[in-house]
Amino acid sequence: MTEALNETVCGAIRDALRMIIDPELGRNIVDLGLIYDVSVEDGGIAHVTMTTTTKGCPASEYLKEAVRNCVWYVPGVEYAEVRLTYEPAWTTEMMMN
Amino acid sequence: MPGATLSRWTMSYFAAACLFLLIGEVMMVTGCGYPVVAIDAPETLALVHVLAIGWLSLLMVGALLQFVPVLVAAPLRGRRLALPVLLLLVTGLLLLAGGFGALAGVGVLSPAMLPLGALLLVTGFGLAAAMLAATLFAARPLPLPARFVGLGLLALVATALIGAAFALALSGTVATGPLIRLLVHGVPLHAASGLGGWLTLTAVGVSYRLLPMFMLAPEEAHGTSHFVWWVGSAALALVAARTAWLVLDASAVEEPLALAALLAAAAVILYCADVIRLFRERRRRAVELNIRASYAAFAALLLSVVLFIIPGTRAAAGEGAAALVYLFVFGWLTGLGLAQLYKIVPFLTWLECYGTVLGRAAVPRVQDLVREGRSSLWFCLYYGAVTAATGSLFAGSAPWFRAALLLQLVATVGLTAELVRARMLSSVAEPLRFPLGAPRPNLFLPISRQQE
Repeated sequence: MTEALNETVCGAIRDALRMIIDPELGRNIVDLGLIYDVSVEDGGIAHVTMTTTTKGCPASEYLKEAVRNCVWYVPGVEYAEVRLTYEPAWTTEMMMN
Repeated sequence: MPGATLSRWTMSYFAAACLFLLIGEVMMVTGCGYPVVAIDAPETLALVHVLAIGWLSLLMVGALLQFVPVLVAAPLRGRRLALPVLLLLVTGLLLLAGGFGALAGVGVLSPAMLPLGALLLVTGFGLAAAMLAATLFAARPLPLPARFVGLGLLALVATALIGAAFALALSGTVATGPLIRLLVHGVPLHAASGLGGWLTLTAVGVSYRLLPMFMLAPEEAHGTSHFVWWVGSAALALVAARTAWLVLDASAVEEPLALAALLAAAAVILYCADVIRLFRERRRRAVELNIRASYAAFAALLLSVVLFIIPGTRAAAGEGAAALVYLFVFGWLTGLGLAQLYKIVPFLTWLECYGTVLGRAAVPRVQDLVREGRSSLWFCLYYGAVTAATGSLFAGSAPWFRAALLLQLVATVGLTAELVRARMLSSVAEPLRFPLGAPRPNLFLPISRQQE
């Protein structure tokens, strides 16, 4: 897979993740800045690094699982790995206006 | 595992708590307890414990089972005890109320129910405190909100033990000098430890975390917030010292807790300054109903505590400063409790129902599970009725008090119905209401063990 194609798949992953909303804030997790990084390796292995608005929130595992499910179905993705991190902690400055 | 931090029995605690609130309000509307009878009459004591244990404490324990893991970002210890604790507390409360009924002359009941009920309550609260304290202990160093909860748990244990001592003395099971002294002079200490220490310090701690979460305000603890903790700790220590003095020293004389009350007032003023600052610094411009209703509760807290430390208004508030205690219990603690239930119940319902299909189907927002327009009318009626009931207690008018209470009961029924509607997803428009694969929540029981 070429670098350009990988970039295309990364873009498709970000677009797909916009269907997932933070239940409390009602906005999608991409625009909220909860997706820290998306990368795709050759062979369609996608890596997503994400956070949640609050550490320990009961919604955290649901959001992580939702991201994994969502990425898995993006064309060009053969395997999805999602990492939940709180380094750095999410702040409201990370939201897109 | 999805839902690893979803508390399995919290909704059952909330349902039981709401039921006891309604029972307590019906008791008051029908003339049970003060001001129809004396403030220390058995009927009043039964009513007070239905509200303090049945409503407020079940609500608080249920909420802490869910939120202590959030406060410290660690799993709850001993979570299997959640249901036994609920059963112990409900059974203990019913026995305690039955014991008070026996003291009031209800023939089929026995005063022996008092110590038995107290035993179950001490066991239940002790186990709850142990679960929560073990969770906190394992997550040291604690953030400030969790330190408030730790302090509240200490006060809970102290309150339960003092209450058990009262039960032993009132039932005639034990009649030693220290116990009788505690019974005669220690009721304000029991109330201060329970309402101020356990319920208020814990609510303050949880609010320091929930308010920034819901309003998107900065979460860093300010110096004033630390000061609130230290001043609250000092007030609680004074109550504890006074209790010990009363038990140990036969020459101890009754004296008002003037210094503790002053410290509590200082802590409340600083706390209110903190919540105003959080409101001003919020990033979320739209203020949801649970937040607006919470700020009405903060106003009631400030008013009740400040008026309490003024001798003139305290004296005018009736026997045992009843009007101000009423404002504190129903304006502050109950108002905040209902306001937070209005957010927490839809949130937990959303997780149960939509969490597992998130990312696979379009889902509603948490806010879509409620209708704020109608609910805001209920909250307005509720706070208006509490204000009127407080005023009627100041005026010494029992008929007006019961009329205001009827309105308060109507508002509470209305708000409870809104919570039931949220559980039933009644406000969610099709086709978002039941996406394919989404489990349907039960009214107050867990869905299945897989959700744990």
